[in-house]
Amino acid sequence: MAIDFEFRKQVMDHHIGSEVIKYCYQCSRCADNCPVTAVTTDFYTTTGYNPRSNILNALLGYKDAIFAADELAIWGCTVCDTCDEVCPQNIELTEVFTFLKNQSIAQGKGPDFIYAQAKAVFDSAKAIPSQPAIERRRQQMGLPAVAAPDVNEVQTLLKNIGADKKLK
Amino acid sequence: MRKMTEYKMFEGCTIGNRIPFIEAASRKVFDKVGVQTSQAPFACCPDPTGVKSFDNDAWLVMGARNLCVAEAEGKDIISLCNGCTNTLRGVSHQLKHDSLKKDKINAQLAKVGKEYKGTIDVKHFVDVLKDNLDKVKGAISKQLSGLKVACHPGCHYMRPAEWMESDDPMRPTTLNEIVATTGATVVNYGEEILCCGSAVTNAYPEHGMANLKIKMDAITKAGADVICVNCPACFQQFDTQQRDLSKQYDANYNIPVLYLTELLALAMGVSADEIGLKFHRTRLSGILEKIG
Ligand code: SF4
Ligand code: SF4
Repeated sequence: MAIDFEFRKQVMDHHIGSEVIKYCYQCSRCADNCPVTAVTTDFYTTTGYNPRSNILNALLGYKDAIFAADELAIWGCTVCDTCDEVCPQNIELTEVFTFLKNQSIAQGKGPDFIYAQAKAVFDSAKAIPSQPAIERRRQQMGLPAVAAPDVNEVQTLLKNIGADKKLK
Repeated sequence: MRKMTEYKMFEGCTIGNRIPFIEAASRKVFDKVGVQTSQAPFACCPDPTGVKSFDNDAWLVMGARNLCVAEAEGKDIISLCNGCTNTLRGVSHQLKHDSLKKDKINAQLAKVGKEYKGTIDVKHFVDVLKDNLDKVKGAISKQLSGLKVACHPGCHYMRPAEWMESDDPMRPTTLNEIVATTGATVVNYGEEILCCGSAVTNAYPEHGMANLKIKMDAITKAGADVICVNCPACFQQFDTQQRDLSKQYDANYNIPVLYLTELLALAMGVSADEIGLKFHRTRLSGILEKIG
C-alpha cells in the first residue's frame, strides 16, 4: 500500500500536539471503549467502525485505506470523546477524526445529515431555523423572542473561509 | 467593565427554535436561584459533531464570532446545551493554544470588524448550579421523595476533560448531586457515561438504535422512573427515539425524560403547565402523579 507522506504531515499538523499520534502503540483501548465499535464489530473482525485502525492508517499515511473503505470507517464515530480519555498515550483521537471527516467532505463524501445541517447554518446562521409555530409557542410561554443573529455577517465569514463551496 | 454576576444566555438552536419549553424551565430555575442572564444575537454555536466535522475552520470562525459577541459586553456565557458548551470551550481552547489558527481566524473576523481576544469564560449551566448548590437547595419547596432518577450527563458536558474542565470525564457526579437536592433517589445503572448516540443515529440509525438499546436496557433494569438529562440533543434522543426503538426491537421502551431544570422547577413548586411539560413525547403522567 502506498504511503502518502503529505497526508501524514497534514494529520500531524492539524492541531498543536497532533504529532503525538506517533506514540500510538496499537493497544486498542480506544476501540475497546468505543460504543460504536461495540455495536458494529464482532471480536477479531475487520469490518465495522474501529478508531484504532483509523489512527494506525493515519499515522502510517495510508490515505487510500481510509478513504477507499466504506464511509462507516470514518463517519461511524458518534463523537463521544471516550477514546480521548482512555488513550494511555494522550492522543486526541477525535481531533484526528475531525481532520479525516473534513477531508471526506472535501471529497464530496459524507452523510446527508452533515450537508443538510451545514446548509441550514449557511442559510439562516442557525442549525435549526426559527419557525413561526415555535415563535408563537415561545410567546405563549412568556419567553422573549430569540435574539436574531446577523445572517449576512455569518455568511460573509463562511464564504471567505471557503465553506460555502463544500455545500451540496 | 467586567461584571460577572450576569451571564449571556446561550440557549442554542435546538432549545431556542425547537424545544423552548426547556428554556422556560431553565429561566424559572435561574430566577429562583438568582442566576442573572441577558440575551445576545448569537448564531449557531456551531455543532461540534456536525459543522466541526464538515469544516473545522468554519466551526472555528463561527464559534469565535459568538465569543466576540459576549466579549463585547465583557460577560461570561451560560450555556443550556452540552454541544454549545463543547464548541465554545473547544474553539477557545484551539485559539488560545494555537497562534497560527488564532491569526488566521482573527484575519477573517477583522473583515467584519471583530476580534477574538479570549477574555470571557463559557460555563455549562450544570456547573453554575453546582457553584450555587446552597441556593438551589434553598429554593426546593417540594421533596420528590420516592422518585427514582437515572442520570445521563452526556458526553460533551465533561469530555474531553482537558478543555471542558468540568466533571470527572469517566465518573461524573455533579448531575447526581444536583438531582439529589430534590429528595429524589439517584439510581446507578452502570452505563452512566455511555453516549446517547445522537450523532451516529443521524448517519447510521441502525447503529444508533443498537447503542440506545444498551443504554435503555440498563436504565430499565435499574428500575428508574425517569431519565434526567442536561443536553437538548440527549433529551431528543431519549424523548423521541424510544418509540422507534420499541418498534425495532418489538419491546416497550417508555421511560419519561426530564431536563435537569424541569426536574428542579417541579421541586421548586412550578406547575407542569407553566413549563410546558405537555410538549414531551414520552408520557409524564405517571411520575407527575407519583410526585403529587
Ligand atoms: S488507545 Fe491510544 S495508543 Fe492505544 S490504540 Fe488507541 S490511539 Fe493507539
Ligand atoms: S469519539 Fe468516536 S471513536 Fe472515540 S470512542 Fe466515541 S465514537 Fe468511538
